[in-house]
Amino acid sequence: MKETVDIALAQIFCRPGDKEGNLKKIEQAAVQAKRKGAQLLILPELSLTGYVVRDEIYGLAEDIPGPSTRRIETLAKKTGLHIVFGMPEVSGDTKATLHNTAVLVGPKGLIGKYRKMYLPTHSVFEEKRYFRPGYQPAVFKTDLGKIGLIICYDIYFPEVVRLARLEGAQLIVCISASPSVRRTFFEVLTAARAIENVAFLAFVNLVGIEDGLQFWGGSRLLGPNGKVLVQAKYDKEDLVLAGIDYSDLRPIEAFVPVLKDLRPELFDKLKKSAEAL
Amino acid sequence: MKLTPEVLDLDMSEVEKKLLGFIDDYLKKTGARGIVLGLSGGVDSCTVAALSAKAIGGSRVLGLLLFEDETRTSKDVNDAMRIAKRYRLKTETIDITAPLKSLYGSIPVFDPSDKVSKGNMKARTRMIFNYYYANRFGRLVCGSSDKSETMMGYFTKWGDVAADIHPVMDLYKTQVRRLARHMGIPREIVEKPSSPALWPKQMAEDELGVRYEQLDLVLYGLERFMKPEEIAGQLNIEEPLIERIRERWLNAEHKRRVLLTAKLEYRTVGTDFRLPRDPFYTL
Repeated sequence: MKETVDIALAQIFCRPGDKEGNLKKIEQAAVQAKRKGAQLLILPELSLTGYVVRDEIYGLAEDIPGPSTRRIETLAKKTGLHIVFGMPEVSGDTKATLHNTAVLVGPKGLIGKYRKMYLPTHSVFEEKRYFRPGYQPAVFKTDLGKIGLIICYDIYFPEVVRLARLEGAQLIVCISASPSVRRTFFEVLTAARAIENVAFLAFVNLVGIEDGLQFWGGSRLLGPNGKVLVQAKYDKEDLVLAGIDYSDLRPIEAFVPVLKDLRPELFDKLKKSAEAL
Repeated sequence: MKLTPEVLDLDMSEVEKKLLGFIDDYLKKTGARGIVLGLSGGVDSCTVAALSAKAIGGSRVLGLLLFEDETRTSKDVNDAMRIAKRYRLKTETIDITAPLKSLYGSIPVFDPSDKVSKGNMKARTRMIFNYYYANRFGRLVCGSSDKSETMMGYFTKWGDVAADIHPVMDLYKTQVRRLARHMGIPREIVEKPSSPALWPKQMAEDELGVRYEQLDLVLYGLERFMKPEEIAGQLNIEEPLIERIRERWLNAEHKRRVLLTAKLEYRTVGTDFRLPRDPFYTL
C-alpha cells in the first residue's frame, strides 16, 4: 500500500440527463488528472447524470456493474487511476429500487460501491421520493490505502464517517451536490469530520445551475487536523490536486487523541436516546 | 427569532453575482438570442433591466415601454429611458391605449367601473406584447416580480408575472431596493413608491394596507413558520392585519402554481409529473 497519494478533485458541471456527455467530461478530467500526476480522481455526486433530473431518474439509473461503470473501468485501466464518481443505481436484486450511489473503480476493475444512507427530503431536496437508502458503510482496501465513501448529506451525521473510520478508512471521500445556500455548513462540517476522526477528507462538489439551484463547487482536501490542503474555485469548473501522506495521521492522533479517547458505552446511550426521540 | 430590519440584510455583491450567473446560464441553456422585458420605470423592472444588461450585454436586452393614456406619467417614461440609456438597452415604446380600447369595445359585458377586471386586461395586454417580441426574435421574457408581491398574490394571473425567468422573485421588495442601491440605480427610482399601473394613481402600499418595510418583515416571519401573534407582538402591529396578510398569501397559491386538473391517470400534469424545468439532454 502506498504511504502517499496524489488526489485530483474534479468539480465538473454535469448536464442533466446527458450520460454520454458527462462520461466524456469524466474522461477529460481523467486525462487532465493523469497529466498532473494524480493516482486518485474524484468526481461529484450523481456526476453521471446531473443532480436535478427528477422523474427522469427512473430511465437513467443503471446496474452496477453496468454500461457506465464498465466505461469508467476501461478509463481507469487506461489511465492507471483510481476513480470515484456518482450515479443512480438500479438494484440488481429487485431490478426496481434505486439508490444514490458512489462507485470506486481502480485500474484492475470495479472495487466497490456505497449507497447513500441519508437521503435529504426537505427544502429543495426530494431524494427519498426516488431512492432507497443504503444500510452499510463502505470502506475499501485499495492500493491507495483504505478509502471510505460517503455522499453529501451523510456528512451532517457524524456516525457515518465515524463508522467508516473505525472500520479502518484513513481517507474519507465525500462526493456532493450541495447548493450554495448550504456552503457555510459544508465548510464547517468537512473540517469537523476530518478532525474528529483523525482522517484525511476529500470533498468534491458539483458546480453549475440546475433548475435555478446553484451548486457552489469549493471542493477541498483536508488533513486530519482540519487544514485545507487544496481548494477548488467557488461556482466554476475546476480540477485541483494535492498529495496526502498517511504517516501524518499518527502525530495528529498523538496531539489530539480522539480515537484513543472514544467512549463506546456512550454509543449505546446514543442509540437508546435516538430511538426514544 | 428577532424581526429586525437586519434580518433582511444580504451580501448584495454575492446576490448580484448569483443573479447575473443565473440569467446568463439560462440564456445559454435555452439558446435564446436575448431578453425582452417590460420596462415601466419602477424599481423592480429597472433593477431587472440592469441585471440583464450586465449579464448578457445591453444590446441583447430589449426594454418595452408599454404605456397607455390612463396611467402614463412623464416621470416613469423618463426613468425607464434613463435606465435604458445607462445600460445601453434597446427600447421600443408602444402606446397600448388603442388596442386596449379595442378590447374594451369588443367585450359585450365590459364595465369600466370594474377597475380590477379592466386593470388586469392592461397587465395581460403588456404580456401579449412582451411575448410577441420574444417569439418574433427568439428571446426570453424576463419578469420583474419580487417576493413580496408574489407572496401576496399582488399581481395579475397570466399578466405581469407571465415570464420565462424571474431573477428577483426570491428577494423581498426592500431587498430589491437594496440591490438596486448597490447596483447604482438612481435614488429617485429606488425610492419611488411602487405601482402596478393598472389604473390612475394606484399605489401598491395603499392597496396592501401596509408599508413594505413592515410587510417584508411580516412575510419573512411567516416564511420561517412564525405564528401571527408572535409577529404582531414583535412588530407592534395588530394581529388581525398579520392574519389578513397570511390569508392573502395562502389564498394566492392558485396564481403561483397555475396548472390544476383532476387526478385521473398514472402521472398528471401539474401534480406528479415531476420533470426538470431546465432543458434536458437525454437524447
